[in-house]
Amino acid sequence: MTFNGGLRCATLLLALATAWEFPTSQKGYAQTSSEEKHQSARYDPAVKSSKFGHLRVKVVDGRTMEPLSDAEVVLVENGRRYRTDKSGLTPWIEAPVIRSSRFRLLVNELHGQLTLISYKNGYRDSIHSGVRMNEGATTKTTIWQYKIEKTGDTRVEPVFYMEPYHRLWLIQLADRFRKKSQMGEGYERP
Amino acid sequence: MAAAMELAVLPRQVEAQTNNLNNTGFPSYIRVAIRESNPWGEPDTRGAIIYVKTVNFDQYCRDVIPNEWFPTWRPAALEAGAIAVKMFGWYHHLHPVTVSGFTFDVDNTVNFQLYRAQSNQDTTDQAYYQTRKLAYVNPNLVITELPYRAGYQNSPNWQYRNAQKMSQWGSQYLAELGRTPYEILNFYYSGKVLTTIPKVGGL
Repeated sequence: MTFNGGLRCATLLLALATAWEFPTSQKGYAQTSSEEKHQSARYDPAVKSSKFGHLRVKVVDGRTMEPLSDAEVVLVENGRRYRTDKSGLTPWIEAPVIRSSRFRLLVNELHGQLTLISYKNGYRDSIHSGVRMNEGATTKTTIWQYKIEKTGDTRVEPVFYMEPYHRLWLIQLADRFRKKSQMGEGYERP
Repeated sequence: MAAAMELAVLPRQVEAQTNNLNNTGFPSYIRVAIRESNPWGEPDTRGAIIYVKTVNFDQYCRDVIPNEWFPTWRPAALEAGAIAVKMFGWYHHLHPVTVSGFTFDVDNTVNFQLYRAQSNQDTTDQAYYQTRKLAYVNPNLVITELPYRAGYQNSPNWQYRNAQKMSQWGSQYLAELGRTPYEILNFYYSGKVLTTIPKVGGL
């Protein structure tokens, strides 16, 4: 028996032993494992969407507010990369509208959310999250990047900014789960 | 006692009467107090004022509207909102306050209107410039505050009409029924007129 043949045989024995060890009580576990394998076989890091909005990103120097040309903006959800022009603007991007299943039971979710990273040599990387996209609508957003100074910047790490949820959406969200006995500040009164 | 009350009230009346469209220029700037953020990064309505920022008035309105109204809403709702945001800002520009040694017109939180620099969007910009030359004022052209609140979805929000405040969800509801921006404003704020602002252009 060759080494490979022996290894295959050992694997088979191990599989049989595992199957014997968990014949019925761990059936759910075996099924999940199979599902995971199936999912990993068709794993694609790009998040797909059948719906799109139009996104344009502006990159500026966070201290001078001057536009940054030649910065590279990555749309994390699909890995696509875009360069900024002299005005600090990317071209119009056909960006996916992704609605989180976490919110499926809430108010009809009012916006999808995307994450962007902007890179430019000599500047701190800037991660910009929570960019709101809606089907067929235009969205503009601005990313700030900070220049790395020779003095003072001893620990250089990415900068993160999370775009806040819209206040109208937050009001809806809180009201959706409020019990009658949980008035808090109370329902909004005019 | 009566005289004291009259004194307390009189200056405000005189001041209000002086601020009308004929003798008050359209603001070119507004002073925005920037409040300290809470630990999770949101400006705190009761946070300390860090500094006062002078902002171009048009830019201020454009950076408020998408944070107060959904940019995806109907144009009529956005235009009614744009007029309310502008009149609110204009009124407070004429009535600055001093807190903790800082004099300002508005702050960047829902104490006044939610302002976020560079957050303007195309649809709300269009609504703003479409209505830039319009004012919604008292019949004697006095500039007043046009308050608004969120209200409730899928309803005209009659209770807000009774309180003379515009419901934002109500503005979208009425826009979906085909109401114009003027009709929406007229529904919530009674006894006012829509007029043009002298020497101010739009799109």
